[in-house]
Amino acid sequence: MIQKAALSNGDEVMTQQDVDPVIITKIVEKHNKDRGEIIAILEEIQTEYGYLPEEALRIVSDKTKRSLVDIYGIATFYRLFSLKPRGKHLVCACLGTACHVRGAPRIVEELQSQLGIQAGETTADMEFTLETVNCLGACALGPVVVIDGHYFSKVKKSGIGQLLEKARTGFDKIDIAKDKRIFPIEVSCPHCNRSLMDESFAIDNHPSIRVAISFDHQDGWLRLSCLYGSYNISTELDVPMDTVVKFNCPHCHVELPSTSNCAMCKAPMVPLLVRGGGIAKICSRRGCKNHMLDVL
Amino acid sequence: MQILSSVDELKELRSVLFDAIDKDKPRIVICAGTACQASGSNDIIRVAKRYIIQKALVGKVALRITGCHGFCEMGPFILTEPQQAFYTQVKLDDVPRIIDALLSGEYVHDLLYEDRDTGQKYFNRDDIPFFKNQKRSILGANTKIDPIRIYDYIVQDGYRALENVLSRNDPQWVVAQVKRSGLRGRGGGGFPTGVKWELLANQPTNLGKFLVCNADEGDPGAYMDRSVLEGNPHSIIEGMLIGALGTGATEGIVYVRNEYPVAVKHLNIALQQARELGLIGKKILGTDFSFDIKMVRGAGAFVCGEETALIRSIEGKVGEPRQRPPFPVQKGIDGRPTAINNVETWANIPLLFRLGADEFKKIGNKNNSGTKIFSLVGKVRNTGLVEVPMGKSIKEIVYDIGGGSVSRAKIKAVQTGGPSGGCIPAEKFDLPVDYDSLIEAGSIMGSGGMIVMDQNTCMVDVAKYFMNFLKDESCGKCFTCRKGTQRMYEILEDISKGKATLESLDLLKELAEVVKDTTMCGLGQTASNPVLSTLRYFRKEYERHIVDKKCDAFVCKDLVGAPCQTACPLGTEVWRYVALIEKGEYEDAYKIIREVNPLPSICARVCDRKCETRCSHAASGGQGIAVRSLKRFVTDRIDPAVYTPIRKSTYNGDKTKVAIVGSGPAGLAAAHYLSLLGVKVTIIEAEDRPGGMLISCIPAYRLPHDIVTKEIESLLDENVTLKCGTRLGRDVTIDGLFNDGFKAVFLAIGADKSWRLDLEGEDVRGIYPSMQFLKEFNLRGRELAKGHVGIIGGGNSAVDAARVAIRQKKVKKVTMLYRRTSHEMPAYAEEVEAAIEEGIKLETLVTPVKIRYIKAAEAEGITVETFVSPIKIDAKHGHLADIRCIRNKLGEMDSSGRRKPIPILGTEFTIPLDTMIVAIGERPDSDCLASMGLDVGKSGRLSADTETLSTNRPGVFAGGDLVTGPNTVVDAIAAGRKAAEVIDRYLSGKELRLPTKITLPKFFLEPPQIGDEELEEAEREEPATLPVGSRRKNFAEVEMSLSVDQAKREARRCLRCDLEFTQPKNDNESEPASIGEKSI
Repeated sequence: MIQKAALSNGDEVMTQQDVDPVIITKIVEKHNKDRGEIIAILEEIQTEYGYLPEEALRIVSDKTKRSLVDIYGIATFYRLFSLKPRGKHLVCACLGTACHVRGAPRIVEELQSQLGIQAGETTADMEFTLETVNCLGACALGPVVVIDGHYFSKVKKSGIGQLLEKARTGFDKIDIAKDKRIFPIEVSCPHCNRSLMDESFAIDNHPSIRVAISFDHQDGWLRLSCLYGSYNISTELDVPMDTVVKFNCPHCHVELPSTSNCAMCKAPMVPLLVRGGGIAKICSRRGCKNHMLDVL
Repeated sequence: MQILSSVDELKELRSVLFDAIDKDKPRIVICAGTACQASGSNDIIRVAKRYIIQKALVGKVALRITGCHGFCEMGPFILTEPQQAFYTQVKLDDVPRIIDALLSGEYVHDLLYEDRDTGQKYFNRDDIPFFKNQKRSILGANTKIDPIRIYDYIVQDGYRALENVLSRNDPQWVVAQVKRSGLRGRGGGGFPTGVKWELLANQPTNLGKFLVCNADEGDPGAYMDRSVLEGNPHSIIEGMLIGALGTGATEGIVYVRNEYPVAVKHLNIALQQARELGLIGKKILGTDFSFDIKMVRGAGAFVCGEETALIRSIEGKVGEPRQRPPFPVQKGIDGRPTAINNVETWANIPLLFRLGADEFKKIGNKNNSGTKIFSLVGKVRNTGLVEVPMGKSIKEIVYDIGGGSVSRAKIKAVQTGGPSGGCIPAEKFDLPVDYDSLIEAGSIMGSGGMIVMDQNTCMVDVAKYFMNFLKDESCGKCFTCRKGTQRMYEILEDISKGKATLESLDLLKELAEVVKDTTMCGLGQTASNPVLSTLRYFRKEYERHIVDKKCDAFVCKDLVGAPCQTACPLGTEVWRYVALIEKGEYEDAYKIIREVNPLPSICARVCDRKCETRCSHAASGGQGIAVRSLKRFVTDRIDPAVYTPIRKSTYNGDKTKVAIVGSGPAGLAAAHYLSLLGVKVTIIEAEDRPGGMLISCIPAYRLPHDIVTKEIESLLDENVTLKCGTRLGRDVTIDGLFNDGFKAVFLAIGADKSWRLDLEGEDVRGIYPSMQFLKEFNLRGRELAKGHVGIIGGGNSAVDAARVAIRQKKVKKVTMLYRRTSHEMPAYAEEVEAAIEEGIKLETLVTPVKIRYIKAAEAEGITVETFVSPIKIDAKHGHLADIRCIRNKLGEMDSSGRRKPIPILGTEFTIPLDTMIVAIGERPDSDCLASMGLDVGKSGRLSADTETLSTNRPGVFAGGDLVTGPNTVVDAIAAGRKAAEVIDRYLSGKELRLPTKITLPKFFLEPPQIGDEELEEAEREEPATLPVGSRRKNFAEVEMSLSVDQAKREARRCLRCDLEFTQPKNDNESEPASIGEKSI
């Protein structure tokens, strides 16, 4: 949740980049005790870099005392891994049986023709990587194409140009003023029930949500957008990525009591009472976008 | 969450949770399974939350977000409780309406699920045939549980089976129960689960033992494991806990496919919550029983579904299978005893212990207890997940639950078992679906994928698809699998390109057997199934590819070329003239059309447009190019004189004479092409004017007579003699023709005899067969209809008759009566629409059961008795007064893949009629041919070889409707042209069979620059039609020509499938084209 202008995410450019041995070592150490650690290590490196840089594999080999041949064998055996840098956008066309009988091969041909690459390749400008997958398990709605994690069902050959165009501009780009899925919520402290809304400080043209935060002997204010679906925030502190932050009520100063942990990163989820009923929960880790809105 | 320290605490928690539930509280349930998310359910959920918060409805209406409900085709949907109303394909704006209606106990009628055939709306989800015909013991729980809330699971009796098992604390009893239940592994092999558990239980315990949940659902087309894991992860956890207690296992692993992010997330949350409550980990519920479960993510390798490969993958190695024995139960993960069960098997365990083994065993059939989930996908109407007791027939699954074919194409097979399975043909759909029956039929159960295939699915392509998959996924350890799948793929590739010979099939079969016999793991041993089963049931399709070079499903690209051209019986280069229209070169376009079609203006009006059905736009769900309208556009503005046919003087000076019987499209085409070769042709026509069905049956508002006359006249040159008013059998005989010096005879007398209803009294005045009715009017101007006219039938001639009738002066009202629904009417859809526009009333699902006469009706009145006891009246004095009808409902599928109409007793009703026209089909009037020594088959059709058109009499050829039964104009023209070629070969003493050839587009035409957006947004151009008011009581042509702008816009929409074959190759391959630009 705590991430600056996170709406424009997906912009991290996954081009050939320098491998940071510290990061790789950290990853190796994290999984070193697991059974079958190599696959988990490679998975995390791929998440970090978008592919498996040679340099990283050498470090893994060195740290795990496994031969480079073994690691290379695993990296090439499983479809998940890529030894080549991948494009900014990952286009994945399903070639499962159900999609196949509904015309998926024509969809792949069209993607290849429009991108000017074959399946498994990346465009020269590093914008798109095209992959095929044997089944995505959305068989009822074939042919299915997944672009940057967004599923598109019953895809038509004639609709592909537009899909790629949308991918270029980003699927997460939302017109906050017009989109029906975006709406303001008013929240209060679950302990003293006083409003946390700050009329004097607007984010996204709406009053912001004000809380006090602290981490590592620093404390200060944080303001969040009250729009459900907007990740915009403002804070006086410079919070490093992955830091878990404590949230306090600016009125009663009590720490907002967490009752559950984030499903993605295990950090405590911070509850806020929603006016009109319900509870909003946001993850307290900087960079994690997990959130919930319960209206039970 | 507080840790539960005893079984009683769990019981108490459940009872507290249960008491807190207000069962009458209105609740909306939204599916957020992967398929529904793809259809936009996440947005629906947001809008629902927004509405609930903004209207302060929290506490008044509850919201539950669940996993997959199974009816994925209809997503996103909203289910309401307690109403059980089921709203399908919901849009954002519908959400507030649904919530408001629910709160006031109302329904939103326009969003309720509606049967497409009958229009019936369903108010309760459980009445919908898709749900009603299932037994959803596993999937049913998905609708009641939010997978990220453990309390939802507990309150639905979750972990109650565990309670029971923990209280008993008797491992042997646990294993015995599973054995007794007869549960078999749902992963595909069907190994008895209890036996596997017993084997594990008997292993030494000193090293610890593993239980694995195999969620590496790699079978393409199957996704039930994903849905269970996403929608109800705790059922897997509970199942594994019970398994651990029974077998003494110490560690559990769930191996999940990496392609399933939601399943990974939900399982993670579930494991975390179960751990927080003390349901997994050490000293579970205060007992001495400890068991923990971890998740391992697969990295994308199909072979890892095989248990020994899966184990190696868990160990972090390359996932290659190894030899068994030792079996994993003896030596598995890290050399320790390991039992692996599939997701669905684990989900069955809690159910089994809640029901008791004996109750569980009662579900399903012998040796196959319990239910099985199938993913019913492919060319079926209701795609989704279905759960049925084992032993239900394929027919019930595909038709009763699946709703049959998604389009008019007939279903021909289902594929089960993924790449290890096989195809089962429609003739075998009575087969009960269980492990043993499927193996017997040459397939396997597999994980439960059931992919429905119709006439548009090519079985060679399916086999090739699986072999392509398997050659990529073969781990390479066994030579025969690695190379065998590769070689089988290559042979299939050759077949699909028309390069194979019949010997290839023998080689393919031999290879398949070798691979099956000589490989180590399940992948290789079953890899031949797709090939062997398609060869077994669909050998004809293979032969058609090899011998005729045809792919009837229009899938194998190298045989199909441009689908429009291949679909056209005449082989018209549709793509080419459409491209020429786009360039404004109309004369050239006309020449392309005319070259292969001697009757272009006629086809431009009445062709059935196979090209449009096969158009790539239509094949991917869009609107096919309006080819017929474009043809009309060209023929309307170009003088036929621009085209001069090429004449050969092969038979010049020679007195070679050929007789053609019938001057319909087949006869005319044959005459024209024979004439071009210099053959002297005599056409014999029974009626007073030539044209056959073109004149006598097709009404002038569809096909103006002057157009027909002009086009026919253009074909009657100096080589063609036309003899009208001469009837075969009455005025001439075949022997007579030969005696007169004709060297060959081509019979093309069409099919113009109407079928009878076979009801008593059908010959009274006022009742006419449709052909008689149409001929009397078209040829002689007699108007036979008056007053209220009833038309029986739903084909083109029924619609023609109806529309001719309403134009006749004495007609007041016309009612068409058809026994099925309008969806199933064989008439062209737009003709039906036009007819309704003109005021023709359509009564579907109606069968006339009794015709009554004036006097009888007067004497007896209309009562039920008259329906059951037949009436006899002298037909000479009677005139039709009314018909008694009965309502039908749709029953089982018949052999044509349509549902049979079944009369509903007690729904009889009477329609007063002055005229009735029987239009239930036509047959050739061929009675006289049998006496001339010709072989007349079923339904009066003349037997003739499809390739050579030759009959059982040498020198006598036949084609058109006489051979095929009622068919289209373009097919008749094609038959005529073929007759000319064959007769030419006959006259010159050549082998009659024409050589087979593949027709691929040859000429390159520069495509227009057209943006993707324009292409996506462009709508099909439809020609203007005469306003309804101006159509009454006259026969002016209804459909108009496209305007120049329309025609050009429509031609621009063409996807230009030809370019793939004609585009000049770019030599500079190394330079990839920049993105967004099509590579040229």
